[in-house]
Amino acid sequence: MNLTEWKQKCAVVEAEYKKQVAAAADLDALASARVAGLGRKGALTELLKNLKDFSIEEKKEAGPLGNELKKNLEAAFDAKELSLSSAKLNADLVNTNIDLTLPGAPVSVGHSHPLTIALDRMTAVLSKLGFLWADGPQVEEEKYNFDYLNIPAHHPARDMQDTFFIAGKPGMVLRTHTSNVQVRYMEKNKPPLRIMSPGRVFRKDDIDASHSPVFNQIEGLYVDKNVSLADLKSDLTAFMKGLFGAKAEVRFRPSYFPFVEPGVEVDVKCVFCDGASPCAFCKGTGWKEMLGAGIVHPQVLRNVGIDPEVYSGYAFGMGVERLAMMLLNIKDIRAFYENDLRILGQF
Amino acid sequence: MKILYSWLKDFIDADLPAAELAGKLAALGIETAELKKTGADFEGVFTAKILKIEKHPNADKLSLVDLDTGSGVRKVVCGAKNLEAGIIVPLAREGARLGSNILTAAVIRGIKSDGMICSADELGLADKRAEGILHLDKNLLPGIDVSTLYGKADYIFDLEITPNRPDLLSHLGIARELSVLLNIPLKKIDIKPVKEHGKSVDIKISCPSCQRYSGRAVRGVKNTATPAWITQRLAAMGVNGKNALVDISNYVLYDLGLPLHFFDLKNIDGGINVRFAAEGEKFETLDGSKLELNAQDLVIADNSKAVALAGIMGGKESAVKENTSDIFIEAAYFNPQTINKTAKRYAMSSEASQRFERGADVSITLTALAHASNLVQEICGGEAGPVTDVYPVPYVPAEVIFTPQDIYKILGMEIAEEKLKQIFSGLGKFDGEKTPWKFIAPPHRRDLAHKWDLAEEAARFNGFENIPVSSTRASVAFADNPKNVDCSAKFAAVLTAAGFYECKNFDFISGRDLDNFYFDKKFTVELANPISEEWQFMRPSLLPGMLKNAAFNQSRGAAGYKLFETGKEYANMKGFPAESWAVAGIVCGAAAPEYFTQKSAPADFYFIKGLAAQMLKDFEGVDYSVSKTVPAYMHPKICMDILDGGRPAGFFGKLHPLTAKAYGLKNDEIYIFTLNLKTFEKKFKAQEFKPARDVPQFPSSYRDLSFVFDKNLNYAEIDKAVNSAGAWSKMSYNLTDVYTGPNLPEGKKSVTLNFSFWLMDRTLKDAEVDDNISKISAALSALGGELRK
Repeated sequence: MNLTEWKQKCAVVEAEYKKQVAAAADLDALASARVAGLGRKGALTELLKNLKDFSIEEKKEAGPLGNELKKNLEAAFDAKELSLSSAKLNADLVNTNIDLTLPGAPVSVGHSHPLTIALDRMTAVLSKLGFLWADGPQVEEEKYNFDYLNIPAHHPARDMQDTFFIAGKPGMVLRTHTSNVQVRYMEKNKPPLRIMSPGRVFRKDDIDASHSPVFNQIEGLYVDKNVSLADLKSDLTAFMKGLFGAKAEVRFRPSYFPFVEPGVEVDVKCVFCDGASPCAFCKGTGWKEMLGAGIVHPQVLRNVGIDPEVYSGYAFGMGVERLAMMLLNIKDIRAFYENDLRILGQF
Repeated sequence: MKILYSWLKDFIDADLPAAELAGKLAALGIETAELKKTGADFEGVFTAKILKIEKHPNADKLSLVDLDTGSGVRKVVCGAKNLEAGIIVPLAREGARLGSNILTAAVIRGIKSDGMICSADELGLADKRAEGILHLDKNLLPGIDVSTLYGKADYIFDLEITPNRPDLLSHLGIARELSVLLNIPLKKIDIKPVKEHGKSVDIKISCPSCQRYSGRAVRGVKNTATPAWITQRLAAMGVNGKNALVDISNYVLYDLGLPLHFFDLKNIDGGINVRFAAEGEKFETLDGSKLELNAQDLVIADNSKAVALAGIMGGKESAVKENTSDIFIEAAYFNPQTINKTAKRYAMSSEASQRFERGADVSITLTALAHASNLVQEICGGEAGPVTDVYPVPYVPAEVIFTPQDIYKILGMEIAEEKLKQIFSGLGKFDGEKTPWKFIAPPHRRDLAHKWDLAEEAARFNGFENIPVSSTRASVAFADNPKNVDCSAKFAAVLTAAGFYECKNFDFISGRDLDNFYFDKKFTVELANPISEEWQFMRPSLLPGMLKNAAFNQSRGAAGYKLFETGKEYANMKGFPAESWAVAGIVCGAAAPEYFTQKSAPADFYFIKGLAAQMLKDFEGVDYSVSKTVPAYMHPKICMDILDGGRPAGFFGKLHPLTAKAYGLKNDEIYIFTLNLKTFEKKFKAQEFKPARDVPQFPSSYRDLSFVFDKNLNYAEIDKAVNSAGAWSKMSYNLTDVYTGPNLPEGKKSVTLNFSFWLMDRTLKDAEVDDNISKISAALSALGGELRK
C-alpha cells in the first residue's frame, strides 16, 4: 500500500466508524464499534501497522495523520458514549418511584422560652437607646427593696406589694420589684447614668390567669441634669416604637408609686385597631396600659447621696410576662411556668 | 371607694354625664374600676295583670297576652316563655321611655301589639340580658307607675384610690378634687349649730400616737330605725343598715371621710384616756375577737379598761346597742404607722383603719362631730353635751417655696402662670403675688410637701396629655452587660442549637423536693410566709423544677424531652441567704429527632458528655473527672465532675432511678448536667473571639488501627498513650468503634481509632506515616493491647 492508498483507506475507516458511532443505539453497540475501530485488532490498529513500511519522509507525513485520525475517532466515541450514558441515566431517573408527599425529616431545633424572646427584644431596644444592663440580687435587704425607695415600714404602700420574707433572717425579703437595682446602682455610680434592670421579682399574690407569684420586670432609670417628664415621654415613646413599631405612641395618666413624684401610668396606643372595637388587645379603648413610671422621688435621690436640686431622673418599669402575653398571644400567665413542650416548641 | 353620683352633688354642682365624669376622674389619676347604674331610668311603664294567654296565630314562639291595665284591657304580643295568667308585670305603653329609647307602636306578624311587657334588663334594672319578663309583686294593683317602685336613676362609681390619697376616700374628697379641676366652688357643708346641755366627757391623751381627740356625749337618744335616704346611700356603698346610730357613724365616714366611733356612754367608766395598751392586756372587739394586746397597740380606754382598739375597731362591751340611750361620739386623728402596725398584727382591716393608716384629716374632727350630732339629734333625738377637743400639738402644714420654673423643669414644659395660680389656690393656701411663690397645703393633703408634689398637681390639673415629647437624648456611657448575661446566652445558644427547650420554673420548691434530692434543710433558704408547702423553699438546684416539667410533659404524651433552664440557685451560707446563677439541663429519650426512615438511639451518658464538652469547648482549663463524691440523686457510677482549674464547677451524668421515680417518671434513663455559671462567667469575655486556626493545605494521610485490650482498660489510658507515643507530625484521631462480643476472647474489647497525619509545609511520605503508626502501636502494645488482625 502506498501513501496515497493509505490516506484513502484512512478516510474510509474514519467515515465507516463515524457512521457506526452514529448508528450505535446503545452502549454495547458502541463498545463493539470501538473494539472494531480502535481495538487491538481494530481497523485503525491495522492501518497504523502499515506505517512501518513507509519511508522516513512518508512516515513524517503519515504519522501525524494517523494520530489525528485516532484522536478524531476517540473523540467521536467519547462524545457518543457521553450522549448514550446521559440518555440512559435520564431514562433511569425518569423511572424513579418515590413518594414525595411523605413528611420531611425533623430538624433537631431547640427553643428559647417566650419570656426570653420578649426580654431579649426589650433589652435590645433599650440598649439602642443607651441603657446599660444592671443586675442585682433577688434575695434582698428590706432597705434596698423598700426603705431607700421611699417605702417606709408601716406605710400602706408597703402593702401594695405583698412580700415574701426569708425564714430566720429578719430584714431579708424576695425583691418585689427590680427597683432594688436602681438603688444599688446609684449608690455605686454617679450621674449621668442610664440603666435597665430586667429580672425576676416575687409577690405573694393569688395565682390566676394574670397573676403569678414569680414574674419578670424590666425597669429603666435615667439620672442627669434637667431630666423631665417630657424626657420620660420621649424615651418611652422610642421604647414602645421599638417594641410595637413606628406607629406606637404613649399616653400618661397620673398615678402613684412611692419612689416617683410625679408618678404616671403609661398607656400605649393600640397598634392593632386604632380604637375600633372589638379589639382583643385594647378592648376598643384604643389604648393599652403598659408601664408605671415617673420622676425619681427627691428622697430616693437623697437616700443614695444624689442632690435632687442638681440632678433629676426618671424611672419606669413594666412586666415582661404582660408584654409577652400580648406579643405572643399567650392567654394565661401560668403557661410561662408550666413549660408545656407543645407551647414552648412554637417559639 | 364607692361614690354615689347624687351624694356627690351634696358637695358640688357637677352635672356631667356619668361616663364623662369617670373620664375626668381618670385623667386625674382616679380610675373607675366599675361604673354601675342603679335605680329606674324609665317612664311610662305601669303595672298590669295578665288575664289570658293565647298562641299567636302566625308564629309558634309568640303569644298574645290580654292584660288588665287598671283602666281597661290591652292585647300585647310577647315572646317570653315565663308568661302566667294572674301575675303582675311591667307594661310599657306606646311613647314610654326606656333609658334613651322611646317605644313606638309595633305590628308583629300581622297583629298589633298594644305595648310591650318588659324584662328586667329592658328596664335597665339588670346588667345582663334577662331571661323572660319581669315578675312584679303579685299584690300590686294594675296601673301603678313602675318607676315609683325603684329608686331614682343614679350612678355608683367604684373608684381605685392610691394609698397616698386618703383624702379621696369620701364624697367630700372627690368633690374637692373635681372643684379644682372643673373650677366649680364647693358647696358649704350644711352644719346646724348644736345646743349644748349637761356635762362634758373628760378626755386625756397619754401618748404621742394620737394627735387630736374630740368628742361629746349625746344623752337620751332613741336608737330607732334609720331613715330610708341613709340606708339607700349606705346600700350604694355596699353597707347594710343596722340601726340609726351605727348607720349615722358610717354615713359620716363616707360623707366626710373621717371615721367616727360611737360608744355606749353607760359602759364608759369615767372619762376617755387614749393610751398604749399594757403588754398582754385583754380586749374583746365588737365582732367577738378576743385579743391579747401588746404595748404598741393604741387603745381608747376609760378609767378602768380598754374600750376600743383605736382607729380599727370598737370593743364589744362599749358597743352601741339597740337600747342604748346615751352615747359618746369620738372624732379623732391617730398616727398612721401605729394604726397600720396594729391592723396588720391582728389582720384586721376596716374602713376606719384604712383611712387612719393612710392619714385622716386632723382638721375636720369638729365638723364631723357636729355633722354627726345634727344627724343623731334629727333622727334619734337626745341632748348633746359640750364638745371636748384635745389637740395638744396642732399640725403645722409644710410650706413650699417654689417658682414656676421649678415646675417647668420637672415637667419639661411650661404651663400658663394663670392656670398654675388657679390650680394652687384651689388646692390650698397659695400666695403667688411675687416670686418665689408660696404654697401651704391644707391638712387633708399631707402628701403635698415639696415642689415635686406640686409639679404633679400642676400636671394633673393641666392634663397629663399635654406633656410634650422632648427629643431623645443620646447614650451617656458604654459598659458591658453583666457577665452572667452574656455567658448564659452563649450556653443557651449551644443548647438550643442542640435541640433543647428552654424552661422557666419558679424559684420555689417543696420540702418533698428537698427529700427527693436529699438536700439538707439546714443549707436551704426557707420562706417565712410561703404561699403553700409546695413553694416553701428557695431552690438549691434547677433540677427539681425540670423533673416536674418532665412529669408534666409525660402526662401530656411526650415520650422524650431535652430541657434546660438558666436561673438562680439559693443556699443558706452560714445563716446568710446566698444566690448564684446556674445552667442545668435534662435529657431523656431519642438523642436525635426520629422519623419514619430513621430511628434514633436514646440519649445516653456520652450524649450528655458531648453536650457539656460542646458548651465548654472555648473555656481554657476545663477538665472532666469521674466524680469521687457523687450526689445521692445521681447514679453512683455514672457521674463526672466538671473541673475548672481543678475546682468543681458542675457535673453531668445519669439521674438516680429512685429520684426519677419520685417524680413519677416512667423512663428513668435520664441524663442531666448542671453548671455553676459564676465559674465560667469570670472567664467569659463578650468581646473576645477565638482566633482562627490554620488548616493544612497539603493532603493528610489516614490510617485505621484496631487494638484488642482488656475490657476494663479506660479509654483515658488509651488516649494518654496515643498522645504521648511520640508521633512527630501533626495528628488527630477519632474513636470509631468499641466492640465486645463474638470473635473476641472473654474479657476483651476491641478499640478502633481512625488517625489522620499531616504537615503544614509538605506532604508526608508513606514511610513517615508508617513510622508514626508503629510508634503509636508500640505505645498501645505497652498498655497490654494487641493489634487486631
